[in-house]
Amino acid sequence: MDEIIAEYIRRTVLKIPRDEIMAVLQKWGFLSEAQLQTINFRQTKESISHSVAQLCEENSADVKQAAVLDIICNHMYPNKRVWSVYQMNKTGEETDFFDFADFKKKFKRRIQSALKNVTISFREYEDNAIWIRIAWGTPYTKANQYKTSYVVYHSQTPYVFISASVLKSNLPLLCQALVVASNYHDIREMELRSHCLNSLKDIVFKRFSQNFQTYYPRQERSLPAENVDLRITNENKNEKERIQRLNLEVFGDGPQPKLDFAQYKLETMFKSDPKLDVLEKKEPFRCLVKFSSPHLLESLKSLAPAGLADAPLSPLLTCIPQKARNYFKIRERKSFLPESFVSP
Amino acid sequence: EEEKSSEKRKAPWGRALATASPDRGGLTSAFPPARGSRGKMEEGKTYPQDGVLAYLETLEAQAHELALKQQEEEQQEKKLNRLKARVQELRARRDELRAKVELQEKKLVDKGVVTDPAQPSPQTVLEWKIKSIKAMLQIFHLTGISGKPTKQGVCFCISTAYEGTYLASYYLDILTKPEVRIQRHSVPVFIPLEQIAKKYLQTDLRRFLSVLWEHLNAYAGRRYQAEQLEERFSEHIEGTLQKNSLCNLLVFSYNVSRNGQSFPFTVRLLYGDLCGSLPTEATISCTPGAPASLAETAAAHSDAFRRLALHRAFRSLVDAKQSQ
Repeated sequence: MDEIIAEYIRRTVLKIPRDEIMAVLQKWGFLSEAQLQTINFRQTKESISHSVAQLCEENSADVKQAAVLDIICNHMYPNKRVWSVYQMNKTGEETDFFDFADFKKKFKRRIQSALKNVTISFREYEDNAIWIRIAWGTPYTKANQYKTSYVVYHSQTPYVFISASVLKSNLPLLCQALVVASNYHDIREMELRSHCLNSLKDIVFKRFSQNFQTYYPRQERSLPAENVDLRITNENKNEKERIQRLNLEVFGDGPQPKLDFAQYKLETMFKSDPKLDVLEKKEPFRCLVKFSSPHLLESLKSLAPAGLADAPLSPLLTCIPQKARNYFKIRERKSFLPESFVSP
Repeated sequence: EEEKSSEKRKAPWGRALATASPDRGGLTSAFPPARGSRGKMEEGKTYPQDGVLAYLETLEAQAHELALKQQEEEQQEKKLNRLKARVQELRARRDELRAKVELQEKKLVDKGVVTDPAQPSPQTVLEWKIKSIKAMLQIFHLTGISGKPTKQGVCFCISTAYEGTYLASYYLDILTKPEVRIQRHSVPVFIPLEQIAKKYLQTDLRRFLSVLWEHLNAYAGRRYQAEQLEERFSEHIEGTLQKNSLCNLLVFSYNVSRNGQSFPFTVRLLYGDLCGSLPTEATISCTPGAPASLAETAAAHSDAFRRLALHRAFRSLVDAKQSQ
């Protein structure tokens, strides 16, 4: 067996937390139960990875199996990568039945017609998610298993989630292959990027909690247990309730999708006292504002209740899941438009 | 000190006591303390005993879960029958009261006198009005399309159901000024909402809602059938059920036995009509070496899939197989 592949498998196993290695190997299904029992999981991870590589050599693992193991690891820990969202367009109205076998064939054919040295693997999951792993080579060298891109696609939707990490030059080819294989016409990158893949899916598939007004089912929300001590009165009760109500209207009452940041690029003129005259030239003042957080939307939601911001929050912040973007460009407000202009 | 020693004394009897008390709803509640204190007493010997006890515990838990599930199903059936009987009861009572009212009115007309019935208090009238409005809103919601006016338009709620089981609800916030458009919605992205909106939203709102309702209900029905198949017949299906987001292309395999041998049938169900919940095409393929007599069985199966709901069609196949 190829030494490169053995090493690749060993390094892939090293990335898995020790307690999960057994589960991952079982999911992989390449090593038999008997073989798995021979691995001593109390050693250091370094030794475990060597034992696994040894067993794989005995079974003569090839590139395809190694690729499957890699997909399984990435599917288990998708939040280690940064995912970008792409949107495809089509003009036809025919119903697409989405034949998976057909999709795979077209995708492989399109990529391999331009570049033969690639390893392409597919894996389908319960929630109709298709994971594609591509290891890129060049016209003159074999596919490098460490230079990979991952694509997640849900059939019959116009959205694709790509984690490209390296080799941006192969991105156009990848996009073309996706468009051809899924019967769309074109594809563009959306201004939406995050580590949390599921949250990106929630945003574009509209699975996040939006507060819709309905008569029924009546949302009988149980109020949090108030401090029953009658000696304590809440002076700002009305204000607190107003903030709660506004927050609910804007954010809904469910968990928010998890985003890492929101970036606002300002291209507005610097407005100052003419006497100060900071700038000699009348140029737009370029400024970048970036909000970062382990969980941006939850933190925005808690700003007003915590007293750190006035409610209602600026629509620039609250429109993020609705507009499905976390990159904004703010240009100069035109005199005849009443709202500030946020460009696509 | 006294309590601790009495606890230690109880531990060896804990297990025996547990078996003797059937009303505790399973032995799982009795095991943990027995195991814990046993661990305290015999530190070196916990490992093998944990093995046996843990296994028994899991078996116990499984049996318990199955029993609970069965109980739940029975309870649901009982509840349904009870509600049906109640509906009958209420209908009978309503007819009775109607007849009474008619009779009264006739009597009054005959007598030529209209007596003033006792006036209920305004409080009770208000309560009754509120109750009847709430019931009306509930009925609207159950019809599948309901709405609530908002500051800038209407918020519609489309609820889906399949054969009596209510499934998910989807919402649309529609603005009416300056033109009718969708502000936001929770319709899944693979439903062709833009297409339907382009065709009907501006011209005929009612038709728009009705067409969207058909799409959503058909999708919910197809997904429900696929889920039922996976849940109820997982042991009859070879491998997994392949489906796409709209659940309008399903592929799965199962075995058919003939003359002592078993042959795999692969079914490909295509739902050509997005507003339909029965397949328009049901193709069954088998391995090339299969006997010709199986072709008839395949045709019969294909027919069943096209006529009946998926899980019911499969149930009929399984029953036929078992009776063979």
